[in-house]
Amino acid sequence: MKESAAVKKQKVALITGITGQDGSYLSELLLSKNYKVVGLVSKKYNIGWDNISHLRAKLILEEGDLLNKNSLERIFLRYQPAEVYNLAGITFIPTCWEKPVLAFDINALGPLRILEIIRDRYPKTRFFQASSGQIFGYPQESPQTEKTLIAPKDPYAIAKACAHFMVRSFRENYGLFLVNGILYNHESPRRGEEFVTRKITLGAAKIKLGLAENLKLGNLEAQQDWGWAPDYVEAMWLMLQAKKAEDFIIATGKIHSVRDICYLAFKTLGLDYRRYVIRDKILYRQQRGKPLMGNPYKAKKLLGWQPKVTFEEMIQLMTKADCQQLKNKKGKR
Amino acid sequence: MKRRALITGITGQDGSYLAEFLLKKNYEVYGLTRRTSTPNYERIKDIVDKIELIPGDLLDQHSLTEAVKNIQPDEVYNLAAQSFVPTSWNQPVLTGEFTALGVTRILEAIRLTKPDARFYQASSSEMFGKVQESPQNEKTPFYPRSPYGVAKVYGHWITVNYRESYNLFAVSGILFNHESPRRGLEFVTRKISHAVARIKLGKQKKLRLGNLKSKRDWGYTPDYVEAMWLMLQQDKPQDFVIGTGKTHSVEEFVKEAFRVVGIENWQAYVEEDKHLYRPAEVDFLCADPTKAKKILKWKPSVTFKKLVQIMVEADLKREKYENR
Repeated sequence: MKESAAVKKQKVALITGITGQDGSYLSELLLSKNYKVVGLVSKKYNIGWDNISHLRAKLILEEGDLLNKNSLERIFLRYQPAEVYNLAGITFIPTCWEKPVLAFDINALGPLRILEIIRDRYPKTRFFQASSGQIFGYPQESPQTEKTLIAPKDPYAIAKACAHFMVRSFRENYGLFLVNGILYNHESPRRGEEFVTRKITLGAAKIKLGLAENLKLGNLEAQQDWGWAPDYVEAMWLMLQAKKAEDFIIATGKIHSVRDICYLAFKTLGLDYRRYVIRDKILYRQQRGKPLMGNPYKAKKLLGWQPKVTFEEMIQLMTKADCQQLKNKKGKR
Repeated sequence: MKRRALITGITGQDGSYLAEFLLKKNYEVYGLTRRTSTPNYERIKDIVDKIELIPGDLLDQHSLTEAVKNIQPDEVYNLAAQSFVPTSWNQPVLTGEFTALGVTRILEAIRLTKPDARFYQASSSEMFGKVQESPQNEKTPFYPRSPYGVAKVYGHWITVNYRESYNLFAVSGILFNHESPRRGLEFVTRKISHAVARIKLGKQKKLRLGNLKSKRDWGYTPDYVEAMWLMLQQDKPQDFVIGTGKTHSVEEFVKEAFRVVGIENWQAYVEEDKHLYRPAEVDFLCADPTKAKKILKWKPSVTFKKLVQIMVEADLKREKYENR
């Protein structure tokens, strides 16, 4: 009796993008809070199972696709999730330049398909949309707040900004619990290797182990607001537990340069980055506007959220993790 | 050699006026049309043998690429859209596929097969939605309040993005409400002029409306298609707000429409219906067309009163004709 009551009370969360960096950390967090975690997985855009292989036995994975509303409806019908976290999408900006139509169809119309289902059938479901600091384009002010002008400048950011507006329109129009987390860059050992932080920590580890001789990078002076991904998934959860549905900036409020990452990553391994980093003009991207840096004041005040891991600690953790992983691989061979 | 223009949405209000305008300027006019079981050529019936209709659909990249490749237009006007706000709440995804992604598909077609064509995107004052300042100019932040508004913001941004990234001559005209006897009956101005004409002729008893206090900046459509054309004749591609800079309420429109047919006690015929209120009403929409006046030398030629008169008289004529 007691047990069945507990089972009944168990909250269900649906996560899209569960195999990604954020999805895997969020799964861990929600499992630790005794949620039943359902993940949407797509064979079409399989990015691998590495991030959740250690959790697979505890997760319910359902085949589906943000492009296919029927597949989403079927999952809603079966599990009636109390919370939905939309973390899926094309996240790599160059891909969005190549496929702008697909970028919008997945990154904007994808969440819209979920919003329709919630509005029409499950109005009590709470919805989190992973919005992005990129929606501010070349910012006119720094740091940015929830009130900064939204003016995206590439097909990825445009799609994200439209999703952001859709969520807000549906919330204001129907009074549903739908929120945008305006997330700035957040990193971890599970970050994709195409992103600059991971490229550097992995590059440094390879050099340390004699697997590479140098590391090619673009603009070393480019500055960003980089946070620790596990801190950010906690903010997502907090946003859905709040009394009122609101949008929040989730960021550290501090900026660092690509050069800072290099310095710390190589230093962690006892190396001097200046001997190994090569500037590559092809990779060079000029930074425009003021730096992308979020002001997390509102999240701190209303959610009691603040980052726990510093930038320095994060780069150290990532570098060590990459080193360990490479050693393990080497050992297997 | 004659200049060539390709118009999407040619069977609509704006498309039909623009086609007439361009024919007068001696253009070869091509119109993209979707196949439907009942063709809707009412608005272009007088010019249909002077233009060329090309089958195509904003949902279908191939048809757009082929159209641009084959026609090799000098100018492309994207006026097609799912343009009715309430429908965008019922069919938000389709509105996004059509009104938003249609723009990207045309831009891709131009970029790949006729990169020197000039492109006009029909943007909308609905993008301002919950207005952040009044009146609204080219720099006012967007705050769309409906899936239609969001889709139009997307079209605007992607147009600017293609201009800045691929160096296309692509512009966005942020047009405030523009009306005419060819306006669809689902829009409030035409709904009023149509009903008032029928009430005058004894064919209808009541006119049911939503929020009478809603205010809009209403202009006359033929003026607005001229602004579209002017934007593509400039040396430099840039975006413009097009509107009259004056607002009037739905109530003022009603009153003026009844006055045109000589009915003073208009209240006796009008019922306000709360069900017709918009779910998320947009606020005080009013254009600041200073930039268009200065750079395009554009200004509206028809006053509000004249606009109401034109619309009511046209509906009277139509309704009388149908009576015979």
